[in-house]
Amino acid sequence: MNRRFIPIGVAALGIGAPLASQAPSALPPVRPSAYAITNTTIVPVVGARVVNGTVVIRNGRIEAAGAGVATPAGVTVIDGRGLFVYPGLIDSGDRMGLTEIGSVPGGQDTQELGQYNPQNDVITAVNPSSVHIPVTRANGVTSAITSAEGGMIQGTAALIDLAGWTPDEMATKGRVAMVMTFPRVGGGGGRGGFRGGQSQGGDAAATQNRQVQELYEYLRNAKAYNDRSNPVRQNLAFAALGPALKGEVPVIFDVQTEGQIRGVLALADTFKLKVVLRGATQAWMLADTLSARKIPVIVGPLTAIPEGDAPYDAIYANPGVLAKAGVQIAFQTNDGGEGDARNLPYNAALATAYGLDPEEALRAVTINPARIWGVADRLGSIEPGKVANLFVTNGDPLDVRTQVKHVFIRGQLMSWDDRHTQEYQKWRARPKP
Amino acid sequence: MMRTALFALPLAAGVLAAQTPSPAQADTSQRQAMPALKVDIPPAGTLVAITNATILTATHGTIENGTIVIRNGKIAAVGKDIAVPAGAQVIDGKGKFVMPGIIDAHSHSAAEAINEGSRSNTAMVRIEDVLREDAIGMYRSLAGGVTTLNILHGSANTVGGQNAVVKLRWGLPVDSLLFAGAPPGIKFALGENVRQTNVPQTPGRTPRYPRTRMGQEELLREVFTRAQEYQAEWAAYEAAKAQRRKDAKLAEPIPPRRDLQLDAMVEILEGKRLVHAHSYRSDEILMLLKVAKDFHFRIASLQHVLEGYKIADEIAAAGTGASTFADNWAYKLEAFDAIPFNAALMAERGVKVSINSDSDERARRLYQEAAKAMKYGGASEEDAIRMITLNAAWQLGVDKLTGSIDVGKDADIAIFSGHPFAPASRVEMTLIDGRVFFDRNKAPTLEALIEAMKRRPRANTTSGGAQ
Repeated sequence: MNRRFIPIGVAALGIGAPLASQAPSALPPVRPSAYAITNTTIVPVVGARVVNGTVVIRNGRIEAAGAGVATPAGVTVIDGRGLFVYPGLIDSGDRMGLTEIGSVPGGQDTQELGQYNPQNDVITAVNPSSVHIPVTRANGVTSAITSAEGGMIQGTAALIDLAGWTPDEMATKGRVAMVMTFPRVGGGGGRGGFRGGQSQGGDAAATQNRQVQELYEYLRNAKAYNDRSNPVRQNLAFAALGPALKGEVPVIFDVQTEGQIRGVLALADTFKLKVVLRGATQAWMLADTLSARKIPVIVGPLTAIPEGDAPYDAIYANPGVLAKAGVQIAFQTNDGGEGDARNLPYNAALATAYGLDPEEALRAVTINPARIWGVADRLGSIEPGKVANLFVTNGDPLDVRTQVKHVFIRGQLMSWDDRHTQEYQKWRARPKP
Repeated sequence: MMRTALFALPLAAGVLAAQTPSPAQADTSQRQAMPALKVDIPPAGTLVAITNATILTATHGTIENGTIVIRNGKIAAVGKDIAVPAGAQVIDGKGKFVMPGIIDAHSHSAAEAINEGSRSNTAMVRIEDVLREDAIGMYRSLAGGVTTLNILHGSANTVGGQNAVVKLRWGLPVDSLLFAGAPPGIKFALGENVRQTNVPQTPGRTPRYPRTRMGQEELLREVFTRAQEYQAEWAAYEAAKAQRRKDAKLAEPIPPRRDLQLDAMVEILEGKRLVHAHSYRSDEILMLLKVAKDFHFRIASLQHVLEGYKIADEIAAAGTGASTFADNWAYKLEAFDAIPFNAALMAERGVKVSINSDSDERARRLYQEAAKAMKYGGASEEDAIRMITLNAAWQLGVDKLTGSIDVGKDADIAIFSGHPFAPASRVEMTLIDGRVFFDRNKAPTLEALIEAMKRRPRANTTSGGAQ
């Protein structure tokens, strides 16, 4: 029997029709807007876990959470006995909403032509009806940083909730960061394979140097443009870099090697950029420097193999080394439409097997990213006043065997009618031929 | 006898103390390399006892505080109250979990070439001829508890070529990798990859037949018809030879022309060569099962089989195994109906299911992938363990030799720091034929590398292009 289809407390929810019979939809259904999850273990992520607690959700927010919280009248009660409430997980890097089926070009909005596209707003291309969205949130991933790939500057990244009728409704922060890469000897710098030295022929190091000079030149021009009070002619690309060059939004650098990271640090010094490193498989080499400079690192995907002949556990152990050095870390899946975003907690789990403290691993998919993306007042923990992005499980979400029972996004209880559950129910009912 | 294999782990931009000169360093003069790693090739035939461990047998449940005795590479005893024989090398399993070595029924590791993509039937080419003993992916898989791989050709061709089933005896020469008792196999492929419709059309390049699933069926029926004729020609020749032995006056029969491609196809017809068929959609799978039925052979395993859940009864009835991904989907159109419930649903309907990697990356954590069958569809723990051990062994025809912790089987064993499905567990030791081929305590880990770097501070490099 598959327990996932019989969420505990369904009867208490008073939902008339079985979940399976609801019309398939990627959008959140309209449900009662006030809930109490009672007798449950609350894992707030900040502070100690609460046994026998109650979480009250009303009008999209967490109204109350704790041991002595009374269940208000008129709310829908979910019996949380034996269950756990966690803040929704945040994937700090994927292409959610930008791609549907990897091999079908018609579904791809992941990569613009050209090397410099700071003016591209990713939120423009997020498809709220993507079937990946309900499939991903079903495992407790409630928010994602989605961004494009390819080239040197990819444009803005958006922090979206994995539910909503329109892109703007989904966006917690539509322009949460600027996304860049840093040239690498031999190419392969950013996500999706930055076409650097490899395709250019000739001396790879010389090519990299030229590309670095181009990047500096581009940013110098953009800075000059933004420093002028009234430019002669508007340049949308340069203007889009304004907030990043003023340090108002961070710049995500999709990089891997120690050399790239050193390059980013020098670039950040020159242009006073607020840097977030992403990928950064060799960040362990600079852990102390990154810690001292308070540069956050988005690690992952951990589902990768070490480059060259690096130690077999170099990818798995990198997050633990960084965290021990005091670097603020968060995880990304880098899901490009392969369906890996729902496996965000298992990326964190792999790191715990190789040195990362399990509590820190949990923070690295909840409160840490909320802090890095400047939304810790709204997301990342179970605290009164925060947006009710949370999920209910029967165990540790980092454990693959754990079942997710309920998912709330902005106080709305999500239904289970995603593409995968629909297919499962349909074909499981196939009569014997 | 103890032998030592020397190899180096160079690290780009990393600096390490070079205590022992290594031949590999000559090739990495541009970068400084790790000291040559002494990987002890474990002696064969040692008497070993793994004691006080939690043993997940894959066939008869879990044994708490159990002991495994290994004699001459085979499991000699397993149970709760087993005495440790005198002179045995003892591996303390206290707090550890022991499971059968993981078997990956779909790998391309260690093969220097994957596709002979020139035509759609290349039954004559062999993975065995392109194996590399130094492919680092094998070592990393070993570090993830994997002991056996089914190394297959790619999916460019309807008939891709002959597989190699190997044990990951890392450090030994390449011919020592081959799994001696494994029956030969062959890769088939159906669907989009064979059609070559997902790759951009190069001007001037002629599309290759078949371009449709109909064409794929026709090609299979054509080659098996040819194989039957070829088989008949040889049978006639053998009969004529036998006649001549009785009657020397008869003319010497002329043997048919030897055809390496058809030899392999005849072996399939005779049940001597196992077919492992890359397939996605239910319709193409049903087609293949029909072709196999018409030509009187069995498909040993469907590989990927992402829509297997739609036709689980038909697959089970054909006695065919299913080797699938845990939850990959949507990477192409024919993977859009993939669901993570696939493995559990097929198993529920009586199919022998395995979870495979198809990648050096996933192979490192197949234990995590197997746990997804419990999460999605409610497979039992032992069912999930079997999906990366005994069921895969059955699909490869080696289930009498490996795949579970039972007396008489090869001592292929993975030792974990905790339950293999628990989030913080990792592989501590991997044994093949009772020999320790991976031991994390002696392995080149990141931790060890960082310690080595601390002992010898690195020079300040200027790489990175800072201005």
